Amino acid sequence: MKFDFSPLPTITSKKVFAPIVPITFRTKNHEFSTFALVGSGTSGALISTIIAEALGIEWDNIPTEVGFTPSGTFRFHKTKNIEADIDGNVFPLSISIAEGISPYQCILGQNDLFQKAKIIFESYKKQFEIIFREFN
Amino acid sequence: MKPTKIDFAKLLKNYKSGWVGISSDFKSVISSGKTLKEVQEKTKETKEKIYFFPADQTYNDFIG
Repeated sequence: MKFDFSPLPTITSKKVFAPIVPITFRTKNHEFSTFALVGSGTSGALISTIIAEALGIEWDNIPTEVGFTPSGTFRFHKTKNIEADIDGNVFPLSISIAEGISPYQCILGQNDLFQKAKIIFESYKKQFEIIFREFN
Repeated sequence: MKPTKIDFAKLLKNYKSGWVGISSDFKSVISSGKTLKEVQEKTKETKEKIYFFPADQTYNDFIG
């Protein structure tokens, strides 16, 4: 699967491009489709509390942990009972539900998507490719 | 094979708040609303897969 980097709205006329993929999350009784940033520098998958609620997850009943970013800390709640589907490639996710994250509501990282697929970034062409590994 | 392009700058041009529901070919906004729940409710009967995305964000350089 090849994607162009997605142009995103900014507050100025400057264009911002980001590697973004369409994704569907599933829990036992809910399904939610959205778009995720493919974060090569992100350790593990993150979703916002809004997406967690759309998936029927009672995130505020899950113990709080603290994560780190270059600009400080954030609070998150870890859950395992989520399945991700990217263009028919389905895999289980251990995901952090982060409080107060923006602008991206969903980010995939090294511990999840990057374990399941070879990802080639060609930023000079504003393109990236995801090649899912074949598991027997 | 031509790469898939999802042009959020174009899709969200007329939406500055709330959430939108984007078509499965990523070419148009099917529904919008003040909250995610409102957009989900409006698209409940739609058979096509809808991708939900916030319309109230601005994206500048991101480090992560």
